[in-house]
Amino acid sequence: MASVSVNVDGLANSEDWEGRYFHVDQILDRPGPRTDPSFLAGDKVKDFLRNKCKILVIGAGGLGCEILANLALTGFKDIHVIDMDTIDISNLNRQFLFRPADVGKPKAIVAAEYVMKRVRGVKVTPYFGKIQDKDVDYYMQFNLVICGLDSVEARRWINATLVNLVDTENPESLKPLIDGGTEGFKGQARVVLPTITSCYECSLDMLNKPTAFPICTIANTPRLPEHCIEWASVLEWPRIHGEKKLDTDDPEHITWLYAAAAARAKEFNIEGVTYSLTHGVVKSIIPAIASTNAIIAASCCNEAFKIATSSAAYLNNYFMLIGTEGIYSYTFEHEKRKDCPVCGGELLEISISHETTVEQLIEMLTERQTIQIKKPSLTTSTKHIYLQGPPQLEQATRPNLEKKVSELVEEGDPVNVTASTLPFTLELVIKYT
Amino acid sequence: MASQDIESATTALQVQPDNKARRYDRQLRLWAATGQSALESSRVLVLSGSATSTSILKNLVLPGIGHFTILDHATTSHADAGNNFFLEGFESVGKPRASEAVRLLRELNDSVDGHADTRHLRSVIESDPDWLASFTVVIAHNLDSQILVKLSSLLWEHPSHPTLIVVRSAGFLAEFFIQVHEHTIIESHSETLPSLRIDKPFPALKEHALSLDLASMDPTEHSHIPYVVILVRVLEDWKKSHGGNPPKTYSERQEFKKSVLALKVKPDEENFDEAEAQAYRCWTETTVPPGIASLFDDPAISPEALRESPSSFFHLLAALKKFTEQSETHTLPLTSTLPDMKADTANYIHLQKLYKTRAEEEKHAFKSHLRAPVDDATINLFVKNAHALHVIRGARWDTLDHTSLANALTENPKAACLHLSLSALSAVREQSPGSPISAEALRKQVRTVVGDEVELPECLDDFVGEIVRAPSAELQTTAAFLGGMVAQETIKIITKQYVPVRGYCTIDLIETWTAVIGS
Repeated sequence: MASVSVNVDGLANSEDWEGRYFHVDQILDRPGPRTDPSFLAGDKVKDFLRNKCKILVIGAGGLGCEILANLALTGFKDIHVIDMDTIDISNLNRQFLFRPADVGKPKAIVAAEYVMKRVRGVKVTPYFGKIQDKDVDYYMQFNLVICGLDSVEARRWINATLVNLVDTENPESLKPLIDGGTEGFKGQARVVLPTITSCYECSLDMLNKPTAFPICTIANTPRLPEHCIEWASVLEWPRIHGEKKLDTDDPEHITWLYAAAAARAKEFNIEGVTYSLTHGVVKSIIPAIASTNAIIAASCCNEAFKIATSSAAYLNNYFMLIGTEGIYSYTFEHEKRKDCPVCGGELLEISISHETTVEQLIEMLTERQTIQIKKPSLTTSTKHIYLQGPPQLEQATRPNLEKKVSELVEEGDPVNVTASTLPFTLELVIKYT
Repeated sequence: MASQDIESATTALQVQPDNKARRYDRQLRLWAATGQSALESSRVLVLSGSATSTSILKNLVLPGIGHFTILDHATTSHADAGNNFFLEGFESVGKPRASEAVRLLRELNDSVDGHADTRHLRSVIESDPDWLASFTVVIAHNLDSQILVKLSSLLWEHPSHPTLIVVRSAGFLAEFFIQVHEHTIIESHSETLPSLRIDKPFPALKEHALSLDLASMDPTEHSHIPYVVILVRVLEDWKKSHGGNPPKTYSERQEFKKSVLALKVKPDEENFDEAEAQAYRCWTETTVPPGIASLFDDPAISPEALRESPSSFFHLLAALKKFTEQSETHTLPLTSTLPDMKADTANYIHLQKLYKTRAEEEKHAFKSHLRAPVDDATINLFVKNAHALHVIRGARWDTLDHTSLANALTENPKAACLHLSLSALSAVREQSPGSPISAEALRKQVRTVVGDEVELPECLDDFVGEIVRAPSAELQTTAAFLGGMVAQETIKIITKQYVPVRGYCTIDLIETWTAVIGS
């Protein structure tokens, strides 16, 4: 058996045995017909990929596990991963770096250790916490960022953070963002070049609207098992348990809700309340399988590899997959939105009536597909219209909620909308109709 | 009956799910216990322990197939150790690739049985064809074409033989093909909902709609009549004054919608707005959907074929045909799935009950046409999904015939060229084993396949060039992409749920697209 050979190409470290990169080097040693002339075939590109490139993976769950393994085998050696979650038994049907004995441990740490154990010479640095804990300097150190997240809010945050990072004087400040997402047999992967291509915020209207049940239906006219479950969790739980917070990960809590919902369903002759449905509704569970995650994660890592090496053109800029009936996919260029609050530059115009109250405007901002800002605070250059906090200011501005917007804001006067969860300000221009 | 269901559902509350149900929760929400049990009794054979093969298996072991075997006589090379997550790097070098991969794959799921077989495929085909035929699905990645031809012929010999999935890849390019005999699908999970039959209301629904005294109704009650009832009522009234016809012209339809809104007693009655929005259901005739009507011509439901057939699907299909011929409305059996709509509990539940009772009656009528014993659970599923059934009759794996190729070259030149280039690679390898792959040789081979008279698109050179660049490169990301796609199609075949892809699925991971040709 051959011993570990060193420095075949003068670049490899001691972990790199001869032939380790036989497969990927076929791509890196010469250009293909569609390769950009800027491609530095051979040692230069290998050196960059294996010794210099630093990549950040956000999320160590369904997509994250796949992404980490793919990157490691592709030759990325300096990988960082952030995840705030711990491992649950329901992750094990797809998050293949975790075993039953790992349940309860932090995903980022277990995943990093596993990949380092399996793929020698790769350094994976985990951070068990929130992306919001990290500052601009932290994000500045990476060449690329890949997201495998299930939260819209976290995606908006990292997207806005990377767009804000761009300094036209400093090309290094532009960090390509590759984002993947899945739901059942469907998924998407996209490449965002902050400020240059359409960003995550530009495409907010492509998100499915979450199903929301009107409170009066839940309280008075339930028809579906879901209505009974919502009643149990939204109305009955606080009524019975007072301040005690509902924990959707606690099986005892779910069992309680299930029993309450089933009793209500019985009262109203509604069929179909089950434990599984109760759990699904209160936790907003999205079906997830290994195969879809594998496809989307592979696609994300493939783009990362092509961008890091210039060995081939990369996705421009959106890949959408539907695998329920045959295999249907659609690759297209999503257009930048000129009035995107993150990367657009133009102010967003919104038409309301003279009669619209501040409260109604806030509801519009929360619900409109292109905005979707929860708990917004509104100010103009001269006054506070409504502030969510601190408490004194909230109290002071609360009477404005009842007032008409037209009493407070002149037409054409920009209104700044902010929310504590979003690292940007949305500038609105109000038109009265 | 219905109230008894509720009784039993609530008096005997289910206990919390066990560990297995919790582990598989996110996938059970897609394919349910029936799909899971099909997976658990399946046996998958994968030929080779390549990175692509283990990527496919990973996505089958995780959701819990019953058994897998890797048939591979190779020992782990330095190159293998560098691109396969299911080998332990340099430590696996020199050890049998199949055993190493099986050991590491089994760690993913205790309930899956895995076996390494280090025999040569060539000798297994000769000496042990029955063993090959004992699997549910056989997956072959980058198999030499000569042996692939033998394997595909063997597995095509009998309809009960396993499905074969042929996978090829080089660098950023890949394709796969599913050789499946006959594949019937009840649970296609179609997003199209069955008809509510507002245009052809069943007697109890019609009677209920006509019995309402809209004019003197309490206003709260009025604002809670479900749109289905409103539409049935307005349509019946309309037909009386229009010679029994629904609204036909554009202006008639506008007039119809106005008459719906005119019934409002208060401007904010959302149920009437909903009725207006759904009014098209009144003039969209409920018939047997074309996809289902075409299944009624299937030779498998002829009396002679059924006499021989053990397949409950075709007996059910034959009964369905009889049912639609003999039902007054010439429609599929009614299903009881009622979408949510503006209504109060009493009105909605009453309507739901009407649908359920009628659906139950039609199911009994359907059953009276059934000439073979089928369990109730299957009958219920079949009736519920009658609008979205599928029958797939696949083809033997082979290169595309001239007509299909010519069509593909016109309709999707990129996908056709990708397919031709990968096929040429396989042929050229066989003609001159071990020698370097040249663009000339590949182009010549493509020309041989398509013939002299066919004009080849310019993009052929892009694919040929990419193959010359990396003829034997198995990129991790391509392997992982294929791993997901092929596993997903395997799951569809095993569970008989969702609809598998037909034809060649081609994949370009440079521009990142997938396209199907030859379907």
